[in-house]
Amino acid sequence: MDFNYTPDEEKFRSELRAWLADALPQGWGETAFEPDDEDERAMFRLAWERKLHAGGWTGINWPREYGGRGATLIERAIFAEEMARARAPEGINIIGHNLVAATLLRHGTEAQKQRFLPKIMASEEVWCQGFSEPSAGSDLAAVRTKAELRGDKFLVNGQKVWTSFAQYSHWCFALVRTDPDAPKHKGLSFLLIDMKSPGISIRPLKQISGENEFNETFFDDVEVPIENIVGEVGGGWKIAMTTLGFERGPEDALGRQVRFKQELDKLLLTLSDLPRGRGKAIDDPVLRQKLAKSIIEVEVMRLNATRAFSKYMSGDDRGSDASLIKLYWSHAAQRLYETALDALGPIAPLSGNDEAGAAGGRFQLSWLQSKAFSIYSGSSEVQRNIIGERVLGLPR
Amino acid sequence: MDFSFNADQISLGETVGKVLADHAGLLAPKPAPAHQSAAWDALAELGLFALLVPEEFGGAGLALVDVALAVEALGAGLAPPTAVATLAATDLLVRYGSEGQQRDLLPQIARGEVTFAIAALEADQGFDPEDVTCSLADGALCGSKILVAGAAAAKFLLVLAQGSSGPVLLVVNREAPGVTLRHHDDLDPGSGFCAVRFKDVRLEDDAVVGTANRARAVARLFDAGATLSAGLLTGIATRMLETAVEYAKTRNQFGQPIGAFQAIKHRCADMAVALEAARSSAYYAFWAISQDAPDSARAASMAKSCCGESARMICNEAIQIHGGMGFTWELGLHCFLRRGRVLEYAFGDAAWHNERVLAQTLALLSSERSELAVAAQ
Repeated sequence: MDFNYTPDEEKFRSELRAWLADALPQGWGETAFEPDDEDERAMFRLAWERKLHAGGWTGINWPREYGGRGATLIERAIFAEEMARARAPEGINIIGHNLVAATLLRHGTEAQKQRFLPKIMASEEVWCQGFSEPSAGSDLAAVRTKAELRGDKFLVNGQKVWTSFAQYSHWCFALVRTDPDAPKHKGLSFLLIDMKSPGISIRPLKQISGENEFNETFFDDVEVPIENIVGEVGGGWKIAMTTLGFERGPEDALGRQVRFKQELDKLLLTLSDLPRGRGKAIDDPVLRQKLAKSIIEVEVMRLNATRAFSKYMSGDDRGSDASLIKLYWSHAAQRLYETALDALGPIAPLSGNDEAGAAGGRFQLSWLQSKAFSIYSGSSEVQRNIIGERVLGLPR
Repeated sequence: MDFSFNADQISLGETVGKVLADHAGLLAPKPAPAHQSAAWDALAELGLFALLVPEEFGGAGLALVDVALAVEALGAGLAPPTAVATLAATDLLVRYGSEGQQRDLLPQIARGEVTFAIAALEADQGFDPEDVTCSLADGALCGSKILVAGAAAAKFLLVLAQGSSGPVLLVVNREAPGVTLRHHDDLDPGSGFCAVRFKDVRLEDDAVVGTANRARAVARLFDAGATLSAGLLTGIATRMLETAVEYAKTRNQFGQPIGAFQAIKHRCADMAVALEAARSSAYYAFWAISQDAPDSARAASMAKSCCGESARMICNEAIQIHGGMGFTWELGLHCFLRRGRVLEYAFGDAAWHNERVLAQTLALLSSERSELAVAAQ
């Protein structure tokens, strides 16, 4: 066990730190912030991602042959820490970088890798995920969106929901049913679908926070060339499990941890300055206990992720332990935002930019958004089944 | 950066686990002192107490992180509390002991000949070491301590007392004139808790640990003690999860193993998540304290708070999963419940450590903020 960094790792850190200091807008996080408008914010994040690419900081741990830096998982962890330290903006193509690339690197053909990876890395193509359907949520293998092979094309018909960023996406990866007669898990295939294809329509879905990040996506006789299947016809479930492993895994958790730590730091600073009676909000001993618990839990998120990295680097397989990581961070983060509202006390209900509120309403928005954590990429109940059966070996 | 244990560290943990498994008497609801001393002897024979002693004094010169998994095994096997107390005292003497203390005590520790117990708490004080009222004046120690684990089996007591300029740590011979012991009536008979009274105990000249660094020595004992307790709690939690899962696989009700019911399965999954959190926090604290990392005090506090909470939840749920059997005396789950609970109050409880975590985090943030302000100018 050694948490010290090698000279190479330190060099990686100082290069990145210097680059970030230069690349972020003047006064970033103090006087300069992301746009409030949702569409403007999406475009801002896309521009930031392209800037990262121009600086050589995207796809850092992809193999060099596909334009990556071949960075280690440790360097990836350093990357996350430095982004947190600089309070750098999020990207918009997270699904492309974290899920599509990881899945294609494992299961894609050489032609697919050559075609798609460079454009993901450059954020020239933004991706969305077509898994959930109105009647296939936790029971993902129940998807009904149909893909019929007609000559050298699939004809896709059906509906996906919760397709985050579909409105900004150029491509969608989707789990579709290619054989309605096969057993549930055996009749599925994994397709890459061009969002410009005729027959695709998107309807924004207003979510709990009032935002329209996700959508309903309809497929009406959409043609998908046969070369856009990943893996075999009927082999989609296995590919989807790879994707979900990354969606729940330590890289994803670490990226989120960075955001939670930023918000927690912001909360602590806000409360240190916020008048309450004769003192400051931070003086309340009951509140201090709750805040300390969140500080510990956000640190444990980081440690859980780096422990998993070490396991993978010493050759252990990625397995069901991703569910342990996801179940922990999702509930710990929800507790963080519950505490954030409690901490604001009388002004907790003030959201948006109300002049009597605190921190521009960010904690109220995050509190609402946090309700999704224990639902998406597999609800907590699904994660508990996976842990119970595959990690602990309990009977089905 | 590497968050995994090496083969030696793993094998040491397994060996300690096997040695303790031969001492089933430790798991008895009220272990006889004979069981405790036999287990101590076996651990000493294994060389456990030589590990932290530098080579020049006949030890292996290892760090606390090297014994992290061994400490976990001590927790899982309900080892005599003097085992970790002696490890904590060794760590302290290696860093802050005087030349004389090191020369006299460390070789004896390495040979497994001396046992330490730690006397820190007082009945009318909280957990802050600054508040102790046991006093050292003119070379004599006066006052009373409570909850000194394994005091009756210890040769030396490491006593936290108020010196002329703040708290100090003292090495006191348990048999010195004026030292009297009373066995407590307490939740965990296996801990061998005693109240210890010091009535005008004349100390030797070289009794103070860390004469030049008294405050740092006190802080070190608390950080190491908190980290070691976190390791023990992780061991207890590991064993209780294993026990609960095993029971859920074999106990049948309504015609199937109860572990197939989601009400039980999901409980076990939550316990596994809590255990992972405990391990992450404890292992990092062991590393940080071994390295004297800048955040080692905060890491120790995080680990103590997190592991206490996890062990509490896992012990409680393990008993619930065992249903009526969990509530019986003879199954012995209560031994782990009891040990886990009393460890929560050793070297600071969760509330005390939480406050430390918050205060240190705020200090760090405000220094970052002023750095940023300077950088912006």
